[in-house]
Amino acid sequence: MIRYIASRLLLAIPTVLAVLTLVFFVVRVIPGDPATAALGDYASQEAVEALREKMGLNDPLYVQYFRFLSDLLRGDLGTSMITGKEISDLVRQVLPYTLELTITAIFIGTILGVPLGIYTARHVNTSIDYIGRVVSLAGLSVPAFYLGILIMLTFAYKIPIFPAVGGGDLTDLNSNLRHLVLPAMTLGLIMTASVTRLTRSAMLNVLKDDYVRTARAKGLSERIVVLRHALRAALVPIVSIIGVWAASLVADSVLTETVFARPGLGKMLVSAIMQRDYTLLQSVMVIYALFVVGINLITDIIYSFVDPRITH
Amino acid sequence: MKRFVLLGSILLLLLFALAACAQATPGAPAEEPPAAQPTEKPAEPTEKPAEPTEAPPEPSEPMVLRYADKAADLGTMDPHFAAATNDRNLVDMIFNALVRYKPGDGSTFEPDLAVSLPEPEVVDGKQVWTFELRKGVMCQETKETPAYELTSEDVVYSLQKSANPDTSAYAGEYNGMTVEALDDYTVKITLEQPISPILFFPKVADYAGGFIICKQHYENVGAEGFKTNPAGTGPFKFESYTPQDKVVLVANDAYFRGRPKLDRVEYRFMPELNSRELGLKSGDLDVINGQNESDWVKRMDQEEGISVDVYGVGEVATIHFNTSVKPLDDVRVRKAIAYALDRDEFLALFGGPPVAEKVYSAVPAKFLPGGLTKEEVEELGLDYARDLEKAKQLLAEAGYPDGFSLEVVSSERESYLKPYTSMQAQLAKIGIDIKITTVDHSSMHKLIRQDVNPIVVYVAWRPNADVYLTRFYHSDSIVVTGAKPDTNFSHYAGIDDLIEAARVEQDADKQVQMWKDAQIKLLEEMISYPILYMNQVTARHDYVDYGHELKSVLALYPQIDETTTINK
Repeated sequence: MIRYIASRLLLAIPTVLAVLTLVFFVVRVIPGDPATAALGDYASQEAVEALREKMGLNDPLYVQYFRFLSDLLRGDLGTSMITGKEISDLVRQVLPYTLELTITAIFIGTILGVPLGIYTARHVNTSIDYIGRVVSLAGLSVPAFYLGILIMLTFAYKIPIFPAVGGGDLTDLNSNLRHLVLPAMTLGLIMTASVTRLTRSAMLNVLKDDYVRTARAKGLSERIVVLRHALRAALVPIVSIIGVWAASLVADSVLTETVFARPGLGKMLVSAIMQRDYTLLQSVMVIYALFVVGINLITDIIYSFVDPRITH
Repeated sequence: MKRFVLLGSILLLLLFALAACAQATPGAPAEEPPAAQPTEKPAEPTEKPAEPTEAPPEPSEPMVLRYADKAADLGTMDPHFAAATNDRNLVDMIFNALVRYKPGDGSTFEPDLAVSLPEPEVVDGKQVWTFELRKGVMCQETKETPAYELTSEDVVYSLQKSANPDTSAYAGEYNGMTVEALDDYTVKITLEQPISPILFFPKVADYAGGFIICKQHYENVGAEGFKTNPAGTGPFKFESYTPQDKVVLVANDAYFRGRPKLDRVEYRFMPELNSRELGLKSGDLDVINGQNESDWVKRMDQEEGISVDVYGVGEVATIHFNTSVKPLDDVRVRKAIAYALDRDEFLALFGGPPVAEKVYSAVPAKFLPGGLTKEEVEELGLDYARDLEKAKQLLAEAGYPDGFSLEVVSSERESYLKPYTSMQAQLAKIGIDIKITTVDHSSMHKLIRQDVNPIVVYVAWRPNADVYLTRFYHSDSIVVTGAKPDTNFSHYAGIDDLIEAARVEQDADKQVQMWKDAQIKLLEEMISYPILYMNQVTARHDYVDYGHELKSVLALYPQIDETTTINK
């Protein structure tokens, strides 16, 4: 297993490098530049040119590229072209917000989605099953920002029990938790819909299998049959979808972060694109790439625990 | 199975209940005028210098103002680079200048760090302005730099920084200016070329390069560090910055006009309008940046406990014609376009007054001297009231009886896209087909400076008529090919002499007349078509009192200062 993890980590290096190279050149193809974005329209062309020079944007592309790579190899993410702050500091400040949001959303999505999926599979073609299918389809169809505004409208304005905006203070649990509930609910409910549908589908397949019939014939209780025998076999696709969601939620959080005005990596990414903050954008993309690689690795490792037949 | 579902539901409910029951975070409170004229009596300071007023009684809970702006994040708090509205708002609260625009009224200058507004002298053909500084003005204390008294050394350092293109985006404004300290409290500014007070004071006022920074702190944290860790002498001092979230400012206890009534200002970055609106309605925010639409203003004004302020300065939207390319090099074509356009149609897109109002010259007469009023252009027959027949006739005379096609790029922002699409629809009536490609705002600025648009819609505020005319119509400013390429999208060079003569004219009336003459020429040759100006819109809870009337603010926000308070 350790050898497998090491080989996967080594394989991640070219993946991350490819992402970096792609991002580096793509952002420079987009019209507009950081100096114009930073100084606004009031600044003269002379001032814009002076800032471009200062930012190193007049250097040849390959010089900029290798400067970026060499900094990265030394573990230096560099400084933001716009604010001049260390990118590692900026990321350190917002990463906890994205992590707590993503983890809570995955928790909500899993803890609601899996039982609901099992329950509807157990009661297939009943009214509860139909309701579950319609609701989960609606959950998949509604955009995160729209659901976010609806939830905000309900629980922050009509029934004002949670704050509408902001990320709260990370050092204050109350404040942090209160600010986390509505955005986590938004992302979590969307994930719930997806997990519910997939769990239901996986369980329906498994529940028809011979060994489930055999287990029932042996007189095992329905709870044991479903949870110990059927669910275990259905877990592989469920873990897969949770893994996919874990990776996409980090990216999807951008809309939720914008609607709820929370700091976070997703919002940082969009802001970096809008401001043409090349160095910040590149660094955030490195972090995203590492996230995806890490989540995929964790998912693969979990497979082997869920299904011992899977070997690496 | 049911137990599993039940357990999950209970856990979730517990989580939400726990969060809902938790205490709310502390922080919220306990529950046509002339522009920029010096004040009448400049010789005496309006406030007692350097005598901090008595501090108000200690409030039971800190008084916090939570302001949400439409920006996504901070750019810089170095005032000499601050260009985005959100950056300008923040530096306005942190820094002072030698003189300032009266809070809430950008049409009047008054002393700020200087004890009075000086009169210029002419020495050896050069113009000399001597400023006497207030005593006892303290530079804000920071982790890196203890508080110290601001002296002429800081002022000289700041203005020299503003004049340096490496350390300022506004260096061009300070060409031909030398600054020296005569003693600790006296600063002498010498201009190679004499200019009128109306053009000089903006250079040393609380806008752009005029802000005074604290030299010691700037040197301690460096140019890069200063962007997110500034120190000035203003009513509020910087406390913290959380990326994409907020900047927190706290009251400057040693502020020379007295301690601010507010304890803190939380300046939040919230690009999503719906979120700002809901944040205001739910009570999580006190003031928000609103939408430039009259319908939005009416709707929000109907909310109980919420008021909307609409105020200047208005950013002017103008259509610039590239007179160096066919078919726009023919004045008959440009006039045909002008006769095909109707300002009312443009205005309707923003819901009309009070958010948007018509403008008839490049310089907005409502806010700045030198602009032309509706009556003036009508009297001269230069109002170009819509006349489609005349427009078609002019096009036919120019050899385009069936019209022609043009391609333009527009920003995705509504303030640009709406005028472009309205122009497209209006010009289609005389056979002119405009194809619009929408790009992001920053890209549009880059592209139009590369001269890709034969017709450019530009929305801008500039602090005086000279800056408007120089940057949009002087030949030096012609995009790409000018001596100092800037925003002369028209490639026009016909009013250079008037701009330059007005710049050095000491007689205010003659100066204004020259600016008007220049704009009359622009209209006669239809170099650009002024459409409308858009005012600023902010919504607030009724309990917020800015401490001043809101007429016009150059920093494009309600101006939060030491007098701003919350009356809950």
